[in-house]
Amino acid sequence: MRAERSVLTRDPVTPMWVGTAGLRVLTYLFALAAVIVHHDDYARPTLGWIVLGAMTVWTVFATAANLAEWGRRPIGAIADVLVTSVLVASSAWILTPAQHAAITPLVTTVWASVPPVAAGVVGGRVAGVAGGLVVAVANGIARQAINTDVVRDAVLLIAAGLLIGMASTAVRRSDERLRLALRAEAATAERERLARSIHDSVLQVLARVRRRGSEVGGEAGEIGRLAGEQEVALRSLVSTTAPESNADGTSDVRPHLQMLASGRVQVSAPATPVMLPAPVVVELAWLVREALENVHKHAGPSARAWVLLEDVGDEVVVSVRDDGVGIAPGRLDAAAQQGRMGVARSIRGRVDDLGGTITLETAPDAGTEWEVRLPRAAEPVPTRWRALMNRLTRRDGGARA
Amino acid sequence: MTVSVMVVDDHPMWRDGVARDLGERGFDVRATAADGPSAVRIARTVQPDVVLMDLNLAGSSGVDATRQLTGELPGTRVLVLSASGDHDDVLEAVKAGASGYLVKSASVEELVDAVTRTAAGDTVFTAGLAGLVLGEYRRMAAAPEGDEQAPKLTDRETEVLRLVAKGLTARQIADKLVLSHRTVENHVQNTLRKLQLHNRVELARYAIEHGLDQEPDA
Repeated sequence: MRAERSVLTRDPVTPMWVGTAGLRVLTYLFALAAVIVHHDDYARPTLGWIVLGAMTVWTVFATAANLAEWGRRPIGAIADVLVTSVLVASSAWILTPAQHAAITPLVTTVWASVPPVAAGVVGGRVAGVAGGLVVAVANGIARQAINTDVVRDAVLLIAAGLLIGMASTAVRRSDERLRLALRAEAATAERERLARSIHDSVLQVLARVRRRGSEVGGEAGEIGRLAGEQEVALRSLVSTTAPESNADGTSDVRPHLQMLASGRVQVSAPATPVMLPAPVVVELAWLVREALENVHKHAGPSARAWVLLEDVGDEVVVSVRDDGVGIAPGRLDAAAQQGRMGVARSIRGRVDDLGGTITLETAPDAGTEWEVRLPRAAEPVPTRWRALMNRLTRRDGGARA
Repeated sequence: MTVSVMVVDDHPMWRDGVARDLGERGFDVRATAADGPSAVRIARTVQPDVVLMDLNLAGSSGVDATRQLTGELPGTRVLVLSASGDHDDVLEAVKAGASGYLVKSASVEELVDAVTRTAAGDTVFTAGLAGLVLGEYRRMAAAPEGDEQAPKLTDRETEVLRLVAKGLTARQIADKLVLSHRTVENHVQNTLRKLQLHNRVELARYAIEHGLDQEPDA
């Protein structure tokens, strides 16, 4: 539990801050050595020691700030870049012209490379490049020239800021993905815990109420029937895995259909996943929901429905059958006026768009059955051909009557 | 002849309710059990005609218990009575030898009918189980390294199984296909029997390949 929380709450770039602090101390020692070696030849040795003193104070302060979380803000990185740039530029007055000409190290030496790195850790590549640019300009001011060495230093400073900035962004992104994954895992575990608990308590009681109610009859029977409907709905709810898309953009059709199960609707499917492109799955679930809605509205109050999902290799077949009143031949026109055929037509349109075929079988008192066939690889059949094929395969009540 | 029954479920309220329902309707409820191992142990003694098996047993698998019961006791049939969601488990239990499957939300009348038919040697198929069995045959047929010995459905069996999966009763299927009721039952039963036989052959082959058929030395 504690390990999980630390992953969820810690700053993902903490190791980069520790590295930055180490780099700052190390480069400070380098600068200290450089001043000791060169101070006898400085134009203003006293100013050199003052700058070194300022560097000491800033090194201690910035290192402490970076190691503590409060010092990891953009304002800290900006102050870091500005203070360092001033100290870098001050070397213009410390070194003699001869030293500048001989490329004697500035008082700050490689210590100046730390702020662009810190800026990159805080704000990514743009901040890193900006920090490098500012320090590079200060370097140019210190040398009072633009020569090969100043340009080379500028390239190195900017590159360091850029690379560290890109690295910190990558670390933050992968950390975000890890957090999402952990959260999803926690949600799944919680869902399973809930399902177990519901299965062990509520469902058992509902099942008993349903059974006793139907035995007692009368009003108790009605209560039992209601309990039974909730029992079926709850069972399918807690046993259905959340519909998810795969990385390759396909998704399992089964959970989308199993969610539609109820006291009157039974859903049958294979035990293995039936994968289709995610948008096709959404459309298919819509079709089935519409068809079931149609059953609910028109097939009679006691009609039950069965949904069957089959994977026949190059095709996925979904049938929706009900045992309702069906459609009498003479009632087809009336049905059309009631809007029933309107739904049928809109379902047909969607199936056409998916490159599939649909058939409708119905007869008076024999219910209705829709069968949708979708090709696995949605082949680009020209619309006119598809319409013709549909007309050939259509076997609805009108054709049979 | 009175049908003897044993109820296996880890929820006391459900287990006792089902036992009472069946007892009131003239079944001889010989025993109840709350987990797989004790179900197998008790069944050896009481030898029931039908075991009503829940698959979600706390701490043990109803599928394993089903395999043991059908393997050891030829006179005992297992009817799975489980929640609608445990798809994989239901298929596994049926492959392991269960004679049928009924959802827990079935009515008492459906339960009584299912137990009677199971005792008489019939299979009890819900539409959901038919969908699973149909899917299993298609999975085996589509397997990349085609198993030569994998059982296949005849066209007629496929037709019958699809109609069961669409919720038609055996009577309705018989009318629709102009067959006798008995023929439809036989077709359904065959689909299950082939699957169970194949499963046993597979298990035996696995055992031989992994040396599990030999007695331990010590």
